Amino acid sequence: MDFKRIAKPALLAGAMVLGSAVSAFAFTACQVTDTGGIDDNGFNQTAWKGVTDAEAKFGVEGRFLESQAETDYAANINSLLASGDCGVIITVGFLMGDATKAAAEANPDQKFSIVDYAYDPTIPNVIGQVFATDQAAFLAGYLAAGMTKSGTVGTFGGINIPPVTVFMDGFAWGVDYYNKQKGTNVTVLGWDPAAKEGLFTNNFDSLDDGRTFAQNLYDEGADIVLPVAGPVGLGSAALADELGTDKLMIVGVDADQYLTNPEKNHVYLTSILKNMDATVMQVIDDAMNDHFMGGLTVGTLANNGVGLAPYHDMDSMVPADLKSEIETIKQQIIDGTITVGM
Amino acid sequence: MAMDAVATTSTRKLDTAALRQSKIAGVILILLALVTALVFAQVDGGDAVFRLSRPTDPWVLPDLVVPAGPFNWIAVAILTFLGVRQWLSKTGKGTSLALGIGFAVLIAAFLVWATAGKAFSLTGMLQATVVRAVPIAMGGLAGVLSERVAVVNIGIEGILLSGAFTGALIGSLLGNWVGLIAAILVGGMFGFILAALVVTYRVDQIIAGVVINLFVLGLTSYVSSQVFSEYRFLNNAPVFRAISIPVLGDIPVIGPMFFQQNIFVYGALIMVAAATYYLFYTKHGLHARSVGEHPQAADTLGINVYRVRYIHVIMGGMVAGFGGAFLTLGLVGRFDDNMTNGRGFIGLAAMIFGRWHPVGALMAALIFGFADSLQQKMALLQTPIPSEFLAMAPYIATIVVVAGIVGRSRMPAADGKPYIKE
Repeated sequence: MDFKRIAKPALLAGAMVLGSAVSAFAFTACQVTDTGGIDDNGFNQTAWKGVTDAEAKFGVEGRFLESQAETDYAANINSLLASGDCGVIITVGFLMGDATKAAAEANPDQKFSIVDYAYDPTIPNVIGQVFATDQAAFLAGYLAAGMTKSGTVGTFGGINIPPVTVFMDGFAWGVDYYNKQKGTNVTVLGWDPAAKEGLFTNNFDSLDDGRTFAQNLYDEGADIVLPVAGPVGLGSAALADELGTDKLMIVGVDADQYLTNPEKNHVYLTSILKNMDATVMQVIDDAMNDHFMGGLTVGTLANNGVGLAPYHDMDSMVPADLKSEIETIKQQIIDGTITVGM
Repeated sequence: MAMDAVATTSTRKLDTAALRQSKIAGVILILLALVTALVFAQVDGGDAVFRLSRPTDPWVLPDLVVPAGPFNWIAVAILTFLGVRQWLSKTGKGTSLALGIGFAVLIAAFLVWATAGKAFSLTGMLQATVVRAVPIAMGGLAGVLSERVAVVNIGIEGILLSGAFTGALIGSLLGNWVGLIAAILVGGMFGFILAALVVTYRVDQIIAGVVINLFVLGLTSYVSSQVFSEYRFLNNAPVFRAISIPVLGDIPVIGPMFFQQNIFVYGALIMVAAATYYLFYTKHGLHARSVGEHPQAADTLGINVYRVRYIHVIMGGMVAGFGGAFLTLGLVGRFDDNMTNGRGFIGLAAMIFGRWHPVGALMAALIFGFADSLQQKMALLQTPIPSEFLAMAPYIATIVVVAGIVGRSRMPAADGKPYIKE
């Protein structure tokens, strides 16, 4: 079914026969992706970049298994466990929480790390990597409210789970904050932070959903859309490309999508960065050098775990006042003057 | 004498069955009326506003403003009338029609209730309905073509995916027209593989189809993650833009739905019409259907059963390849792992709901697309219904339509059975 799953063990077996190939790497960092693929120009890709950065910097070997469906999570973790040489197994995604917990408790000597999940109580051999994404999304919301010409912005998510909705929360609060500061009445379509209800594709696979959902928001007047659905957002970018950015702009998520989606990069107003690559590399460093401690690492605006990407092509369109206001707000969030939340 | 008695009994049996159905329909309709009265009619005034035109349209229709309360009480009255009429009916005729009207009225009442005090773009929703229906309708039509010659094609999901993949890859290299043709040919190739497996080698049809699904999913995901992520220019296909048909495209509501779309939508509509004409109004279509119903008889008449099966399964594959290419060349311009996400299976369901008829499959796909775009609008309007339930709407709607209105459908008699020439 998945060729990698067949090819990798076969390669491993070959390497073991040769003997020398195995000893070339002192440490192997293994990763299980969420659905959507390693090349999703966002979530999985950013987390994988942490491993490839570690390959370049520390000379470790990186290996990944892709999950095609939620049923693959446990199977992928188990096949990495069976390979026996993973220094650390990093599972990428909130939905892998249960599978990772089960594997970590069954294998207390294996180091694990999971992106987007915080265990309570913590598990001694698992580091949870979580992100205060709402802080960065707040800035994006403020920016979008300042940039919209129609007075309406929109968002939709992949699945109604905290790591997705935290983007939408922050975005909506940022718009609210702008409205309060400026006395404007910019509307957010697709998410109600109070009711925790909104617009969801219920998958991270169908790019055409990204297009249709963005079209839906555009039909209702939105001229800036924040898709929080991994590669599905690339479909929204295709619509913005066809309509033109004077009619629709996209806010990217996870990575700086101006860089990861170069074919359609002109449609991105900015991106909400969730620097999983930094935390993943940190975890690998810890695991290699025996600093590994189970628990939690939290990415915030203060430690650059989250942030707002540069405006790139849109730079000249964003008024200087708005830019400096966003810088001020960023500082205020960092020093606690503004609390992001309801 | 005896013959007469038999005839009378069987007619009476039919009559009682029809009467019973009519009574059940009556009860259902009255229940719907109750639901409408107790839930949907309970709105505190407020108008539901449906936008019919975009400000840029050449003929701008005014917004459709519906006073929510009065409209829904009228809906209650219609549902009650239909229910009582069916309950009291002596002939049991018109049950399906009454149920169809009843459900349409219910949906209208629901929409008005959800929209009361708010506004949304009805035209946008209907346009999305058509767009969402195309891949499903093409999956369904592919199913009709192959099952009409008694080959069950579970592999449609995989063939759609192969079409999407080929469209993106070849489209990126050689332009979207070549990409489209390549997608159709690759779809046809998988049709040929399936036909070879099940017609010539008599492999179990379900297993052969599943093998195609798994093979395509594995191969395309592999290439996508290993090759496309390295060589990005291979996955950046130009998208077919919408072509507005003069005059027709300017008609309010209908224009944006059917005449301001890209060539895939036009192609899909033409194919459904052509397949209907072919299957039911031509000699070759009759041959094909006879192969699906009674291959021995067809063989006796000199029809080459194997060849007919090969041809139609290949044609089905080509249609599915076209439908898959819509996702990449018609919408987003790039391929991603498993981007069909089960659309082929829903297409197969559409085929069954559409009673193995091309137009029926299209209608079922449109109902699915309508429920799908409806649930998106509902999520935006922030109705008190949780989004998870809204997401079920397309599937529930399909089940209701099938169970309630379509009734029993009959598959081609020889469907799924290999033919062994004696």
